[in-house]
Amino acid sequence: MVSSNANALGIIFPNSYDSLVPELVGLRLMASIPFAGRYRIIDFILSSMVNCGIDNVSMIVRQNYHSLIDHLGAGREWDLVRKKGGLNIIPPYSEKNIKVYNGRVEALASILSFLKRQKEKYVVMSDANIAVNFDFNALISAHIESGADVTIAYTEDRIPQGLLQSNDIRDMYYTFTIDNGRIRKIYMNSQEPGIQNLSMNIYVLNREQLIDQINRAYVRGYTHFERDVLAPQLEKFNIRAFKYEGYCARINDMKSYFNENMKLLKDENLEALFGGNQIYTKIRDDNPTRYINGSRAKNVLVADGCVIEGDVENSILFRGVKVAKGAKVRNSILMQDTVISENADVEYVITDKNVWIGNGKELKGNDSFPVYVAKNRSV
Amino acid sequence: MAKEMIAMLLAGGQGSRLYALTQKLAKPAVPFGGKYRIIDFPLSNCVNSGIDTVGILTQYQPMVLNEYIGNGQPWDLDRLYGGVHVLPPYQKASGSDWYKGTANAIYQNISFIERYNPQYVIILSGDQICKQDYSDFLRFHKEKNAEFSVAVMEVPWEEASRFGLMVTDENDKITEFQEKPKEPKSNLASMGIYIFNWDILRRYLIEDEEDPDSENDFGNNIIPNLLRDGREMYAYHFNGYWKDVGTISSLWEANMEVLDPEHSGINLFDEDWKIYSRNSGMTGHKIGLEGVVENAMITDGCRIDGHVKHSVLFAGVKVESGAVVEDAVVMGGTVIQSGAVVSHCIVAENVVIGKNAIVGAMPKDGEKGVATVGSGVYIGDQAKIGPNAMVSENVKGGEEIW
Repeated sequence: MVSSNANALGIIFPNSYDSLVPELVGLRLMASIPFAGRYRIIDFILSSMVNCGIDNVSMIVRQNYHSLIDHLGAGREWDLVRKKGGLNIIPPYSEKNIKVYNGRVEALASILSFLKRQKEKYVVMSDANIAVNFDFNALISAHIESGADVTIAYTEDRIPQGLLQSNDIRDMYYTFTIDNGRIRKIYMNSQEPGIQNLSMNIYVLNREQLIDQINRAYVRGYTHFERDVLAPQLEKFNIRAFKYEGYCARINDMKSYFNENMKLLKDENLEALFGGNQIYTKIRDDNPTRYINGSRAKNVLVADGCVIEGDVENSILFRGVKVAKGAKVRNSILMQDTVISENADVEYVITDKNVWIGNGKELKGNDSFPVYVAKNRSV
Repeated sequence: MAKEMIAMLLAGGQGSRLYALTQKLAKPAVPFGGKYRIIDFPLSNCVNSGIDTVGILTQYQPMVLNEYIGNGQPWDLDRLYGGVHVLPPYQKASGSDWYKGTANAIYQNISFIERYNPQYVIILSGDQICKQDYSDFLRFHKEKNAEFSVAVMEVPWEEASRFGLMVTDENDKITEFQEKPKEPKSNLASMGIYIFNWDILRRYLIEDEEDPDSENDFGNNIIPNLLRDGREMYAYHFNGYWKDVGTISSLWEANMEVLDPEHSGINLFDEDWKIYSRNSGMTGHKIGLEGVVENAMITDGCRIDGHVKHSVLFAGVKVESGAVVEDAVVMGGTVIQSGAVVSHCIVAENVVIGKNAIVGAMPKDGEKGVATVGSGVYIGDQAKIGPNAMVSENVKGGEEIW
């Protein structure tokens, strides 16, 4: 085999589920939420695609995408600076009579002419609200072997609280009944208790078929791919489910954001997410992290560029965080360039980028309700 | 379009005094300071000084270095016109030669320099740790209307006889050059960093090549010839941090100085003068429930469950529980298994130090040896590596090496 590349192009919807974490997406979108010390959540799906040889990836952004463009640049860190394919960020046209897209159908309709020009046989589509080291080749192989029209990845999980209690029913989630691998029913925004077949919103299908379906759906005024295209045609099409059993961190609300970060303090979880293929991210050229005499660190995941003089425990520190002398940090997530000044004491706190916590300040949340400090704020 | 100044970086040195560390790689590729290699310093200095064209002269064990440099992107030196170029010796119609000396290495690449038609050429050395603004050096060179300038450091008089010394007048004009003299007339040591007017350098390189008795060396031949002809030669005083890391003990010392930037003057935490490097791409480092880290530098991919004290750890180092690492430089990918004690030493890349093994020792009774373990070496359980040992072969469990 000359090329180990998957014969597929990738499409990512970076704004999906923005409504679940309104605090974190005030100045960004779901895909660019910082995660796991030195990453943005998009890095996981994007690196997974690249590691499977998918080197033609389009992102159809909707709003608040400056931070994503800043993060991705030309896509070099993901090896996506390509003459053919590469990274393609598609913002909405700002024209009076064009409204920002709703749902995947409208999003895909806006790039139909692009899709028609591509050569890849398959299309893989994904949202960007999950941290996962996903094997797209396994998904594509299963899709080809089964002869399915569409294959959807799912996990067996309870429906997360964040989804059950979502304030915005438009950010829909999907569960399935599966019979012998074939999806027989798609439920939208189900409230069912117990373990469900919960969609990861990762799809693979034939490119030409996708174009055909989007054409038909768009002229009928349809917006949602799952609700309007897949669900009504379960009999007509062979739509199959692909069970994913690997490590999967879903961001559904602030609570799960906090918990999914904290889970990575367990070695087995860290290994499960990062032990496989490499996850790429923007390079900042920070120096190594420096622990100065008198510091104390226990059970922490720390990125480069930090200076630790205080006491940190059970916490995640992103790049460039400073913890001054006498400061105490417990059970907290400190995003890029947070400064915790002398003798400050923080516990169960999430600080967004560039937050400054002043001398001697005390800030405490609790296990079920971490305090969130917004980007660039001083306390 | 001509370039005002391009850099030629001498990176062919074998670094034989770093023996176990440079068996498989050239000295400029030796890891330094947690996530860098020595060559990151001159390359980053170039970019931060506005020099966008760098020729790297390689000769000894170039594979690691070539791969590391790649297209120069990590240093922002992937340019349409200019950028970084690795220049090994090559075969010519009239025969082929290894680089016979530092001057000969540049001589063999005259045609490379001519492509950019520069006014000035700066000659850099790939085996020093130094943060230096070459644009300030060039400003000095131009102000003095110099044809040749050399960067010099003041060294203590009692050590002066170990260096190549520049004797200058009150205008910094060089009047005499002494190579490691018994009786020094100056304490201005050459840092081996030169700016030449290109026309002058070219002329002297050609002349030097025609001399069959020449060693084709800048210090021994080119500089004396310039002096002989009364050229405009000036010494540029540099006051920042500078260290030739040519020996195990100086390399170890420089790494330790990184831990104390307030006193040593080597500040890697400088937003205005970043040192760039090729990224390991590993995830953040993790300090476990039992891990203890005191006064240390730790980078991506490290997993610390043991005790790390006053040490520099590179990407992906694992320190298992019960292991103790003190005053040590531990390079990328090395695993220190439980109960091992690693002190006052340099451990190269991808080494495994077995359970309860002992590597190096804290100095006592005036004994200050820095034990060194070469890359890829396996040190068996309970083995003992003495404070002056230099290990480049696997060591069996329980064995002792002194």
